[in-house]
Order: sequence, then C-alpha cells, then structure tokens
Amino acid sequence: MALIKIDDVTIVRAGKEVVSHFSAEIAPGKITAIIGPNGSGKTSLLSALAGDLPIASGSISFDGKDLSGISTQEQAKIRSVVQQNRNYWLSYTVREVIEMGQDEESLQRVDHIMSALEINGFADQKVTTLSGGEAQRIEIARALIRDTDIYLLDEPLSAQDSGSKQRIISLLSELRDQGKTIVIIAHIDKGALTWCDQVIETLAQ
Amino acid sequence: MIKKVLPLILAIVALSLFGLSLGATDVPHMWQFIFHPFLDSQSSAHQIIWQIRAPRVAAALLVGAALGISGSMAQSSTNNPLADPAILGTSAGASLGVLIGVVTNIVSVGSVGAVLCAAIGALAATLLTFSLARSALQLITIGIGVSAILNAIVGLTISAISRPEARSISFWSFGSLALVTPKNLMILAPILIIGSICAWKVAPRLDLLSLGDASVRHIGFNAQRIRLTSFAILATLVAASVSTVGSIAFLALAAPHIARFIFGPRNRNLVVYSAAVGAIILLLADTASRALIPPLELPIGLLTSLIGAPILILTLKRSGDVWR
Repeated sequence: MALIKIDDVTIVRAGKEVVSHFSAEIAPGKITAIIGPNGSGKTSLLSALAGDLPIASGSISFDGKDLSGISTQEQAKIRSVVQQNRNYWLSYTVREVIEMGQDEESLQRVDHIMSALEINGFADQKVTTLSGGEAQRIEIARALIRDTDIYLLDEPLSAQDSGSKQRIISLLSELRDQGKTIVIIAHIDKGALTWCDQVIETLAQ
Repeated sequence: MIKKVLPLILAIVALSLFGLSLGATDVPHMWQFIFHPFLDSQSSAHQIIWQIRAPRVAAALLVGAALGISGSMAQSSTNNPLADPAILGTSAGASLGVLIGVVTNIVSVGSVGAVLCAAIGALAATLLTFSLARSALQLITIGIGVSAILNAIVGLTISAISRPEARSISFWSFGSLALVTPKNLMILAPILIIGSICAWKVAPRLDLLSLGDASVRHIGFNAQRIRLTSFAILATLVAASVSTVGSIAFLALAAPHIARFIFGPRNRNLVVYSAAVGAIILLLADTASRALIPPLELPIGLLTSLIGAPILILTLKRSGDVWR
C-alpha cells in the first residue's frame, strides 16, 4: 500500500507553467482518477509521478519518501507506467514487445495478463499491424505483468470498445482489491468514473 | 528458419572456396591443396593458398561481419535507419587515429599499435558525438558534422604530406584487403570475435530501446547507458577493421537493412545475420575486385557500394514504407 503525496507542485514545460501549485493526496489501495480539461497538465502530472518530468517546485512523495531521492531502479520496483498513444514502428511480435526487458517474475504473469486483456488471439502478430486499441492493450499488458505497489495509467480506456473497457476495469479493480494503488488519467465525465474510488480535478491554466 | 539460413551458409562457403581459388598465379592441383589444408606445407602451392589467399579471405569474412554488426548496433541504438559508424563519426575518428599514429612514426599500418590508435580515435569521436547530442535524432545530425570535420582533417593531412607512406595511407579512402597478412589476422580475429560476443550480449537491451527512452526508464534501465555500451562495442569493432583494411563504404549501412528484411528486428538475430550478410558482401566485393580485370585490383570500397546499394534498394522497395 502506498500513499502518493503531491505537495504544491509546479511543472514548467518549454517556458510555460503547465501545472501550477497543485496539491493532492492519492489514497493507498484505491483507484484514483485525475480528470481535467485539455491542457490542464494531467499528462505532465502523471509524467512527474512516473519520474520522467522534473518538477520546478514543490514535492512528490511515495509513502513519505521523496521521489527525487528514489533511483530509477528503485522507482521501477515501486510503480509501473502506461503511456498514452503508444505506437510501434518495428515489426516485433506482440509477445516479444510485452516481454521486452522484463524480469523473470514478470514473465511468469505474461500468459495470465494476455488472456485477461484478450491479447492471446494476436500474440504472434506483428505490432506494426495493430489497431490503436490493440496497441494500447499491449502497453497496458507491459505494465500489468509487473508486480508493483503503484500503477500509473495515462488514458488507458481512450481507444477501447466497451468489452475491452470492462475487462481493463475489472483487471484494475482486482489489483485494487489486492491493495495496489492505481492512478489513471481520464478524459471523460465524472459520471463515467463510478468504478473509481477517488476523483481529483486539475484546473485549466 | 533453416530455409532462410541455409543460403547464407552456402554462400559463405562457396565464396570462400572461390576466393581461395582465385589469384594472379596458376596453382597446380589447386583444389587438392584447398581441400587438404595440411598437404605438403613446404610446397609453393600450399604457401600461396594458405599464407597469402586464406588470410585475405578470412579478413574479408571477419571485417565484413564486424562492420555488419557495428551497423546494426548503430541503427538500433539510435532508433534510426540512417545510422551507421560512418555517420556517427566512428569511422572518421578511427581513420584520424591511425593517421596521427602513422604520420608521427609511432605505429605502422596493421600493427597492434595502429589498432590501438584507431580504437582511441574511434572511441573519442563517437563519445564526442554522443556528448554533444541531446536526442537520438541529434546523434545523426551531430554525427554527420563530426564525421565531416574529421574526414576533412584526414584528407588535408594526406594531401599535405608528400612522403611515401602517404600512398599507403591514402588506401583508407576506399579500403583494401591486399595488405592483410597472417600476423594482422592474429590481432584482428580475437578483437572482432570478442566484440561480436559482447554485441550479442547487449542485443536484448537494444530491443528495449525501440520502445523509447521513457519506457526503458519505467522498467529501471538507463537508455543512455545502453547506448554508451553499444557505442563502445561498435567503436572497437570499427577500429579493428579500419586500422587493418581502411574504411569500407556502405557495408555497415546495407548489411543490417538486408538482415532486418529477412529476419526481422530482434537484435540477437540482427547481430548474427548482419554479420553473415556483411561477410558475404565484403567477400563478394573482394573477389570481384581481384577477378574483374586481373591483374589489376579495383578499390573494394567502390565495389561494396556497387554490390550493396542495389541489394539495399531492392530490399527497401520490397519492404514498403515500414522500417523493420
């Protein structure tokens, strides 16, 4: 169980403040959605949580430990990340991409996650031939086979049909029930997020 | 898989035998000596085939393989189909390293010292490109700049010195296997073999780079460190090749593209098959350079372009718009 604390965080990208003095607490063992209008810095915030983007001021901590003091390797053991709009440009197979760079422990969960996300049917297909929704599920699978306390997902449902949406939601709920902390960025109305335990709004800049 | 690999193996064996059989001197009972390497080692036939021709054939195989591997590593570590050691500054750095060593009379061509000079030059130039570039794309643009500067210095130095060694230095412009001796081979072989094994070891990390630096970070690896490791390996492979046979154009670019087309993007496969394709093209070019207008020897670098480029263009046309 991990508590994520975002304290007075400002993020600057190309000279522009995309997140300004934002604070929030993300409850451990819950599914939290971060919503907000276009350009309100949702993705920047998630990138900062993932350690990809430096913050200009403020602090982010996981269970009281400041993120800036956690090494890349340590971060990888704490959280998994799903990026948005994933596209693949080399003709690896689906299974090859999911297994790339993963440790032994994660590799053992590949089959389970692949069938839960209904990827099995095209496991040997080239990733360059996939639809947007299929490519997104590959990215989700890469993150979910990893056993970490925190999962950060940027718009995981945006390209999915209703069946796939349900499968992803129940997989995430299952992880939540195991005590995992899940953070998703969403682009939809609060009303469609009844499956989330907490909703945090970012404001337009 | 066998169907794809067998033609490569057959091509290597057939070309090697043809290379051994080819030369300015007619050797009586040639095939007998070729198929019985330990037959009558004092005879001139044995000397010609196993002391003169064999090192040359072996060098073509080793250097071709090394350049093929270095090209595949350059492309995979920059995520760019345009990359090759000539573009990253590696080859120019190696040439300049040897040139400085030879002009200052510290080393002679083909010696361990020359390999060392080339390695220092290749590593320094590659690291210069690496430290100036802030993204994978910049590695290419800055690499082109670094290469241009270093090549200009090499060219100017060669034109400025009028001493006899200038001629033996100028062979680097096109490369040549004519000067390879068994002694060179003893230096070249272990470096290239160890370098190739290292390349095979890091290959899975290069697959990971294709997902982008952020994805690499997310699972706990450092993309820049992976690049640095592969640059060190490819610089060593290029240095050993350039210091012995000069810089050979196009091979490092063409071989991995052809290997990708046939065997796909997995880097473990690419290391093995870029090596095979590189070896075949260089052996073919060297054989052609000796066989086309005997006893004249044509510049091998021009032949690698002439053989490699059409194969590359055909491959790319057939694979459509995607880079495999």
